[in-house]
Amino acid sequence: MMQPQQPYTGQIYQPTQTYTPTTSQPFYGNNFEDEPPLLEELGINFDHIWQKTLTVLHPLKVADGSIMNETDLAGPMVFCLAFGATLLLAGKIQFGYVYGISAIGCLGMFCLLNLMSMTGVSFGCVASVLGYCLLPMILLSSFAVIFSLQGMIGVLLTAGIIGWCSFSASKIFISALAMEGQQLLVAYPCALLYGVFALISVF
Amino acid sequence: MHPAGLAAAGTPRLRKWPSKRRVPMSQPGMADPHQLFDDTSSAHSRGYGAQRAPGNLGYPATSASPQAAFLTNPVSDMAVAYGSSLAAQGKELVDKNIDRFIPVSKLKYYFAVDTVYVGKKLGLLIFPYLHQDWEVQYQQDTPVAPRFDVNAPDLYIPAMAFITYVLVAGLALGTQDRFSPDLLGLQASSALAWLTVEVLAILLSLYLVTVNTDLTTIDLVAFLGYKYVGMIGGVLMGLLFGKIGYYLVLGWCCMSIFVFMIRTLRLKILSEAAAEGVPVRGARNQLRMYLTMAVAAAQPLLMYWLTFHLVR
Repeated sequence: MMQPQQPYTGQIYQPTQTYTPTTSQPFYGNNFEDEPPLLEELGINFDHIWQKTLTVLHPLKVADGSIMNETDLAGPMVFCLAFGATLLLAGKIQFGYVYGISAIGCLGMFCLLNLMSMTGVSFGCVASVLGYCLLPMILLSSFAVIFSLQGMIGVLLTAGIIGWCSFSASKIFISALAMEGQQLLVAYPCALLYGVFALISVF
Repeated sequence: MHPAGLAAAGTPRLRKWPSKRRVPMSQPGMADPHQLFDDTSSAHSRGYGAQRAPGNLGYPATSASPQAAFLTNPVSDMAVAYGSSLAAQGKELVDKNIDRFIPVSKLKYYFAVDTVYVGKKLGLLIFPYLHQDWEVQYQQDTPVAPRFDVNAPDLYIPAMAFITYVLVAGLALGTQDRFSPDLLGLQASSALAWLTVEVLAILLSLYLVTVNTDLTTIDLVAFLGYKYVGMIGGVLMGLLFGKIGYYLVLGWCCMSIFVFMIRTLRLKILSEAAAEGVPVRGARNQLRMYLTMAVAAAQPLLMYWLTFHLVR
């Protein structure tokens, strides 16, 4: 009699092949309890997200160059959606513009940083850094929900927040890519990008 | 659930392949060992779906719940692996071929700048009258990087100036209530078109005059991009102080860029003798002089043409 433990599950007209795992996923074992938690499998590490957020929020703190080694897009995705949501609260349905501008901006920064730095940089890293530094812009757009930003105070606040965002982004880029003497040069295109976001928030 | 599945759940399962299922369920595909054909009567039997997947592993169908099935379905594992290998191949293809269209290493030379250089160069663009030595330093046959010599052309300033010009134009149109986001795209493409026309016209005239210069195309683009700095200054002043401010600043920047272009191009287009100030007779050098003057004179004209409609 055939071994009862190995039933014939192949197709009739094709030879059955044994599946050998070629992907790099570790063999988690047969049991349900051995499998890792969902967040770890998806690569979302809340502690790292929190650390990176704190780095952005303290513009004067020196950034650690290694924090950007793992490109995680979950945090930036959340921040972009939050930005779109605060714009929605102010009555502007402009998710399309946010998406388009961030895509073009990330592409432009990617090209520029690859040309300017000695070591290259990956697109995911650029997108991740720019997304994290969008956090102060969310503050600006939530202000815009309540007060109008078109007075002198609004202009000053907008300028301050653009400066804050681009300073943090350039600080992280400089430390991650070891570019000396170029912080203002990196901050300027970031300021242009965040300026466009601020334009959307204000007008 | 057929009885064979339940019986199989009771016995220790010898599985030849790992499973990432979250819910321990017996495999409905684990058929009766005496069954010769796949049981396609139930909707869960996805053996044929697995057959059509690339690789054709003859894999049995997995759990019944749709959400877990998407994550744990080996077909999706294969699809993910296939997709990532496709992406890697695409990236390799782009990397191999990008050098044919865009000389990346040459471009890197033009972006090797630092803040001090940019500051000095901007000062030079606005006030070129006191600068004495316009010659680019060489280091063993290659020109020195812009970081080390303020006379070397770079592409950072023209690129940033171009983008800033497009945004400032959008701002100017916005204050006149003529703004819409597609106007930004329109401004950008029209400025880019004018730049392309200029580059092609100058290259054509250099070719017709049969001048042997070491003025490369990228150098030319860099030089022609410097006028955007003056344009930005003019438009910003026009926004703040009206037409008077616009004309004053634009006039000043036009003069500066004219002098800057003449002094820079003279070294590149004219032969060495004429560049040192010694007047050399001959139709050839006169032709080159006229060409330099024409290129330099085109700059203020274009600066005015591209900005006058922005300031009312």
